[in-house]
Amino acid sequence: MLEIPAHLPHRYPFLLVDRVLEREPGVRVVAEKLVTMGEPYLQGHFEGHPLVPGVLLLEMLAQAGGFLEAESLHGTAIFLAGVQDARFKAPAFPGDRLRLEVTAVGAFGGLMKVRGTVSCEDRELCTARLLVKRL
Amino acid sequence: MSDLKLRVKEMIIERLKLEGMTPDQIDDGIPLFGEGLGLDSIDALELVLGIEQVFGVKIEDEAAGLKAFKSVQALTDFIAEHMKA
Repeated sequence: MLEIPAHLPHRYPFLLVDRVLEREPGVRVVAEKLVTMGEPYLQGHFEGHPLVPGVLLLEMLAQAGGFLEAESLHGTAIFLAGVQDARFKAPAFPGDRLRLEVTAVGAFGGLMKVRGTVSCEDRELCTARLLVKRL
Repeated sequence: MSDLKLRVKEMIIERLKLEGMTPDQIDDGIPLFGEGLGLDSIDALELVLGIEQVFGVKIEDEAAGLKAFKSVQALTDFIAEHMKA
């Protein structure tokens, strides 16, 4: 089993991938994030009506995309360079087990483009294409 | 304008969403990046993907990209050369 903190530089409270279920470097990754009431951002988004901010769904996809890289990303500066055609179709709530599916579209000059889907129990919550830059 | 060059220009306009631009406004010799058309590294990735999708030609690495993205003329020549192969 892949050690997540050994692969991604992200840490609590911003490590947003709990498990990697399937992984084919350079091609496709399926990961998982269990949303709990303990997530700090849920206190204020929104008081009494906790739901995961859409931008964090994109961040989850970007972090899952980090596992497309064969090597560990430690010591690597990696950041989001673009978001295209993001759609938020339904909200994610505490208790949801989110499936993060990321497929590589292509790469050139240190930039990688991926297509991602966040789903929960076969319902699509979010789809987007992301550009990730490595330095 | 050659048919292929026109298609290359149309692909650039469509792929990079250069709205309001027409193929005859893109000079054949103008550099695509930096000064010239002013494209950036994200545009480069989009072009690489567009060229593969539309013309079936792969730009394998940055060295090939450097050569192909010199100008529209250079890109058209690069595509013509690799389409035959």
